[in-house]
Amino acid sequence: MNNITSTFIGALIAIMILFNGTLSNALGNYTSSVIIHIVGLFCMIFILLISKSTVKLEKGIPLYLYSAGVIGVFTVLFNNLTFYKLGVSITLALGLLGQSLCSIVVDHFGLLGMKVVRFENKKYIGLFFIIFGIIIMTFF
Amino acid sequence: MLLYVMIAILSGVSIVIARIINYNLAKRIGIIQGTFYNYVFGLFVSFIFLVLSYELHHISTETMKSIPLWAYLGGLTGVLVVVLSSYITPKISAFYLTLLMFIGQLFVGIIIDYYTLNILSIGKVIGGFLVLIGLSYNLLIDLKSIKLR
Repeated sequence: MNNITSTFIGALIAIMILFNGTLSNALGNYTSSVIIHIVGLFCMIFILLISKSTVKLEKGIPLYLYSAGVIGVFTVLFNNLTFYKLGVSITLALGLLGQSLCSIVVDHFGLLGMKVVRFENKKYIGLFFIIFGIIIMTFF
Repeated sequence: MLLYVMIAILSGVSIVIARIINYNLAKRIGIIQGTFYNYVFGLFVSFIFLVLSYELHHISTETMKSIPLWAYLGGLTGVLVVVLSSYITPKISAFYLTLLMFIGQLFVGIIIDYYTLNILSIGKVIGGFLVLIGLSYNLLIDLKSIKLR
């Protein structure tokens, strides 16, 4: 069951790119980003209500910790821009490559408070397969 | 073309950075609360972009009505992803979670491309498998180095 749920989360991400990309093609990038966030915010308020959680602005939390939502805006904009040109699967495959590269850099230098995990040359093999796979997806 | 390739890669980079920051925020105030703030600040910034972009002049209620209703549900889908991820994370190893999520993304992405672009390409399936082999290989290296510590 846990395996099915995990795969389902991935499926939802692909479906989300289709939904957001379609909206963005029709209304424009920025209008759709506002709508996507309004719908999401309403859903979050609903979840807060049914889970009876409370939200308060706590002091002493560095401001940059709240920046993930701002970065998320760029994720949405970037996905919507590429969805139209490259379709869903190549957009996602390139995104996965970006995630792998970024994780490697963050781990290697221990950025953003993460533990240092030095890059191993063996990882070039994995990166090679990812890039080779994307090339085949794009040209065949 | 190359520009869009770069943008797609950058979207992956932004996902990783947001995930780490989220994780640190959630430790302090909780996952649901953290996600709530993400949407508040995300909406605020999107709104500023919208005002600066002049897109507002082009919006008509007719175009908004002509779009299928499901296209408006991306925000709901995003919230579902966050809620389900936080529910499943303690129940499954990070390795399988990451890998299964990748499998779901890539293959549902291929299915969507088939229905929306009418492309059934063997290349996408084979390429998708190669991407998965590469991802799982590197995830296994991570897993080993975590166990060694």
